[in-house]
Amino acid sequence: MSREELVERFVRNAEEAHFRVHRGEPPALEGAGVSVALYGLADTGSVVIAASPNEPRARHLVGDVHVSLLSENRILPDLATLFASLERPLPSSLSIVTGPSRSADIEQRMIVGLHGPAEVHIVLLPA
Amino acid sequence: MTSLARPPGSFRQIARGQLADPQVQAAFDGVTGRLKQHRLATWNGLEDGEALRDRAYEIRMRTIDDLDRHLSTFTEQVESRGGHVHLCTSAAEAREAVVAIARAAGARLVAKSKSMASEEIGLNAALEAEGMRVVETDLGEYIVQLAGGHPEHIIVPAIRQTAPEVAKLFEQVEGVPVSPDLQELGRVARRQLAEVFRTADVGVTGANFAVSETGSICLVTNEGNAGLLTALPPVHVALLGLERLVPTLDELGVLLQLLARSATGQRLTSYTRLVSGTAGRGETDGPEEFHVVVIDNGRSRLRETRYREMLACIRCGACINVCPVYRKSGGAAYGPVYSGPMGAILVPLLTGLERAPDLPHASSLCGACTDVCPVKIPLHELLLELRKDLVEERITSTRERLAFTLWSFAWSRPSLYRLSTAFARIGQRLAPRIGPGRAWSAGRELAPIARRRFRDRR
Repeated sequence: MSREELVERFVRNAEEAHFRVHRGEPPALEGAGVSVALYGLADTGSVVIAASPNEPRARHLVGDVHVSLLSENRILPDLATLFASLERPLPSSLSIVTGPSRSADIEQRMIVGLHGPAEVHIVLLPA
Repeated sequence: MTSLARPPGSFRQIARGQLADPQVQAAFDGVTGRLKQHRLATWNGLEDGEALRDRAYEIRMRTIDDLDRHLSTFTEQVESRGGHVHLCTSAAEAREAVVAIARAAGARLVAKSKSMASEEIGLNAALEAEGMRVVETDLGEYIVQLAGGHPEHIIVPAIRQTAPEVAKLFEQVEGVPVSPDLQELGRVARRQLAEVFRTADVGVTGANFAVSETGSICLVTNEGNAGLLTALPPVHVALLGLERLVPTLDELGVLLQLLARSATGQRLTSYTRLVSGTAGRGETDGPEEFHVVVIDNGRSRLRETRYREMLACIRCGACINVCPVYRKSGGAAYGPVYSGPMGAILVPLLTGLERAPDLPHASSLCGACTDVCPVKIPLHELLLELRKDLVEERITSTRERLAFTLWSFAWSRPSLYRLSTAFARIGQRLAPRIGPGRAWSAGRELAPIARRRFRDRR
């Protein structure tokens, strides 16, 4: 799969998972939490966020709006490639985020933004 | 003694009440029906689902064959990163381990994310007995806790409660009327629980899987509550069923592809988190203490029996959603923790068959459970094996055993067999009027028996 196809696949699946994907022009989102994603996963449209001194474990889980910055050349095909690519030892915490905080615990109907962000953005940065 | 305990023989009685309540029937039918459809929709999008199931079965059984080694690798890895592993043989031991950790931390508030293992060991009552406040943070579990009940579905704990009922429960906390509007209920829950996340002294989570080679706990949620509990409270305790170990990250990847698809029909849930130890150097959140409480509670013993395949279960709930008996009888009939086909097998195996003699019969043996199981556990065959054990261990009533002995005696002798077929027409008319025949025929149409036997036609 070419780089361009991989990016397109990522965007399609991320949007299906209810991310808003921005290419080039970053949105003006005051007060939003911002994380730098370690990887993106094309198959599931996920962003992978690793805990570090600059990236608290909870940052992408609090607030109403969250933005992940993802470099296009960090997009991997799928979960299997991610697990093969991760350096050891693993970060103290690694999150694979695939959409907003949500729950269908009442009548199997969707509530979006339960404990964490209802609105999740990905800004794709050119390689 | 675990909190899996239930009044033996209670299935029929509870199911009868359930069947008589149209609102509850609609709730169970609606939720399981939707989950079934969601699963099917994503499952059909998989390129080779069958090959994935085969691989998952192979991974699970191979891991269970060598559980001791994987556990010791896991323990070494966790300890090398400053964590602690507590191996607990019984439910009581596991409860005591968590209570001791919480007591040492001087905990007043313990926040929990959904964990069936916690239900299995009856953790909440033990912590509350120590004077600690325990709050469930998964929306479904929170509702069940406010209602003072037990989860009735491993994926959708509050399957019974409707939005207006949830509003009433939230009102008791708020002290003011709460609208039954779904999004409003979400906002109220968020507000009520935000304070809990912020002030909890100990966070207790389950563990969907644990990876030996890296010493990691894998937690899967849509709400993000488990992730918050691995980040905010100063102490994190993960409850791990002994059998949920996976040797490598690569193998975890296979199982993760199956778990969410089978449970909710998602490719992945919103949040999949791998936690490997306490807060790293220079990190601004994450716990100072990380404990993994490994729960055996009868699992090692199961490895030596012909029911060992049940240990492959990844608790996705797919078998529950397709089970015609569960969908009508509801979750409570199975007892307070596990329900549906997986519960009908697991509860007798973990508590003893004599305590749950009715559960192996809570199945039509249609095999729908076996067809959807992502790790290919032959669920309906295991149910049949349990029924065999009921007879062999003489748990089945004397009357029932006598009836089948007489039947087998008669039908293995041609003369008695002929005699029985001669009387079949009369017998069929009498059966619905007496004892077990009446119960058996109450819900069935009996096809009329031919006037002349086949053997008499020339």
